[in-house]
Amino acid sequence: MMFKDWSISAVAAGFLAVLISYSGPLAIFFQAARSADVAPGMLTSWVWAISIGAALSGILLSAWLKMPVITAWSAPGTALLVTLFPGLSLNEAVGAYLTAALIILLVGVSGSFDWLMRRIPSGIAAGMMAGILFQFGLGAFRSVESTPLLALSMLGAYLVFKRLAPRYCLVLLLVTGIALSVGLEGTSLSGVRWQLATPQFIAPEWSWHATLSLALPLVLVSLTGQFLPGMAIMRGAGYRVHSRPIIATTSLVSLGTALFGGITTVVAAITAAICTGKDAHEDPDRRYVAGIANGLFYLLGGLFAGTIVTLFTSLPDAFVAVLAGLALIGAIASNLVAMAQASEHREAAVISFIATASGMSLLGLGSAFWGVVFGGLAYVVLHHTSRPSGG
Amino acid sequence: MKHLEKGVSLRRAPADFIRDLNVDNVSAGVVAGIFGLSAGVIHISAGTAAGLDPHFIMIWVIAYLMINGLFGLFMPAYYRLPLPMANSIPGALLFAAIIPVVGVEAALGASLIAGAISLVAGLAGVMGIVMKLIPMPIVMGMVGGILLKFGLNMVAPLEHALLPAAIMILAFLLSARLLRRVPPLIVAMLAGIAYMLVTDVDFSGVTFSVTFPEFIVPKFTLEAFLAYGLPLALILVGMETPAGVGLVQGMGYKSVPANAITAVGGFATMISSFFNLHSTCIAAPMTGICSSPEAGKPDKRWVAAVIAGAIFVVAAPFYGYVVSLIEAMPSYFIAIIAGLALLRVITSAMYMTFAGKHEMGGLFSFLIAASGLQILGIGSSFWALVLGVGVSLIFETKDFEFIRRVANEPSAS
Repeated sequence: MMFKDWSISAVAAGFLAVLISYSGPLAIFFQAARSADVAPGMLTSWVWAISIGAALSGILLSAWLKMPVITAWSAPGTALLVTLFPGLSLNEAVGAYLTAALIILLVGVSGSFDWLMRRIPSGIAAGMMAGILFQFGLGAFRSVESTPLLALSMLGAYLVFKRLAPRYCLVLLLVTGIALSVGLEGTSLSGVRWQLATPQFIAPEWSWHATLSLALPLVLVSLTGQFLPGMAIMRGAGYRVHSRPIIATTSLVSLGTALFGGITTVVAAITAAICTGKDAHEDPDRRYVAGIANGLFYLLGGLFAGTIVTLFTSLPDAFVAVLAGLALIGAIASNLVAMAQASEHREAAVISFIATASGMSLLGLGSAFWGVVFGGLAYVVLHHTSRPSGG
Repeated sequence: MKHLEKGVSLRRAPADFIRDLNVDNVSAGVVAGIFGLSAGVIHISAGTAAGLDPHFIMIWVIAYLMINGLFGLFMPAYYRLPLPMANSIPGALLFAAIIPVVGVEAALGASLIAGAISLVAGLAGVMGIVMKLIPMPIVMGMVGGILLKFGLNMVAPLEHALLPAAIMILAFLLSARLLRRVPPLIVAMLAGIAYMLVTDVDFSGVTFSVTFPEFIVPKFTLEAFLAYGLPLALILVGMETPAGVGLVQGMGYKSVPANAITAVGGFATMISSFFNLHSTCIAAPMTGICSSPEAGKPDKRWVAAVIAGAIFVVAAPFYGYVVSLIEAMPSYFIAIIAGLALLRVITSAMYMTFAGKHEMGGLFSFLIAASGLQILGIGSSFWALVLGVGVSLIFETKDFEFIRRVANEPSAS
């Protein structure tokens, strides 16, 4: 019964979604890994874990719910890592992943997701998210100074692709960027070969520091930055989604993959629309195949994670920085817009943005945590109750 | 001269000044003045880093206060708009860096030419066109990016001075909510001073001195012009003026004399070059403070700018004293006060950048300005405008007013 639903367009949509994830959001993961200075073997395990997490949850949910549920790893969550490493140990990070997955599981199973989303002031969540992602946007432009030729060519290429073929922009940028790195910077790709990945187990370690700096912001950005827009995209495409099974499945999978360095698995926000729209298939009931295909390609990517890692590590820093920054341009823009348009609590939203973007660490806790605290404090002091603020 | 906008009146200015005085614009003026004084620290450190003579650094900073302050009295008083004058900080950094290469006289000669270019641009009425070509969201994105650094400075001292910073910020927030009449900034300042008194901040290292600007004859060389004069002219015409004018317009002022600001800035820069000073122009951060809602009723905010100018002129000869006072005051004090003062400006800059049109161009402009990126020795604010407009032309062609007009009326000619 399943096979009659298969179509080339759906499989192609699934493939494209995976390719885009590996082109853009994965670059953020590599930025984080660079700041933590992890060995290639460990990095391979991380990529394996996030890919397998996305594969399992995506295939399971798409086949079960008969709708294209596109899953991925939490992109703002990986962005968060960059600000925390190397102060945070890998074991603590894994402990925080587990804590985050448990909290998200509780939120999902208790059915309080929608209630919670209404309670969190949208501007503060957007301000914090913009603050986290902001660094990557800056990084893209800062690499113009260190590696002007490569960075400027990639920026130019991005503008051209974004204008002419927005759908394939990131993939084209990846290919062009690699070609430019080889041509301009003398990058050698001779070390890249097919190899199966071996996951590495990381013993979790629980600490207050990691819980407040990583787990809590991770929950917040995953819920507001991934699950909320991801579900909105599915609903927009006409699917009647219930948050409970989806959140429960992804967080259960996250619990398993966390032990191998995989950050929380979530509903995709950046790539979901490719598989839920008409491009995947004319018949909405046959688009779930795109979800399954997406999962299968992730499985493939996970198995050959080592190859992906050697490819990225042999490319120049500027390449990764520019790719990561440009992959997030859309997300940065939408969060800044949401922050600026939160008319009832704009100042609190901007305070949350500034505190997060400052990258400060206070009492050993990361800036994303303080962004929420200061933003929340300003919200309560300035804007709580129905009375509008003066000025 | 026909492009120069007419102001209100200088003759009636003193009487109107007294009539329009109120607690909001006085406090904003004081904050802007203190902020401008504290900017001297940037000059001092840049000059020291470039290995300049300490006496030169001192007369450079004193000239900036004296000359910027004199023009800063005139502009707001004549136009009755919050137009404080100061000098270009990117220009100051370029200036400090070029002196060891070409010498003080040649650098000042290049300043003189840059001032002349700015004067001509203003007299020719180019600014109105420049401002139309560069849409507001992109200018505000650039302003937001530059100002963001000050906002981030506000948070940075928290790491070392958690208690006083928390006290000052909380005092600001609470008084913004609870006290309608007292400006939150004053409450935050008082809270900070109270904290310093309680904790016995040491002011014993403060020394007193009186110094005046010194006259010097500039020299012209091509090398100095290309390396520093041309970038300075671009900074003055392409960035400082649009940033200042954009800020004032963003605060709701309809007719801002863009040509006059450019021309007067150019003329003042030419004067400056005879007194060891690199430039005089409208000052974005101080304009932000003087034109913000913190400065009270819109038509009385010009008083704040006059006060800031007066503080400059009065403080100039005694700046040696101020320098040691600033050195004695904990660094978090100025950083937090400036940051709080700029909070609303950053907020409204963000709002204007992302309010609808030119979002992509605005975002690029914001990110580039905030990144502090330098290409060909020209600072990020210039590139933010150029690339922001470029990106917007590619992706948001329809958002440009003049293009839309052409597209909608193809037959009109």
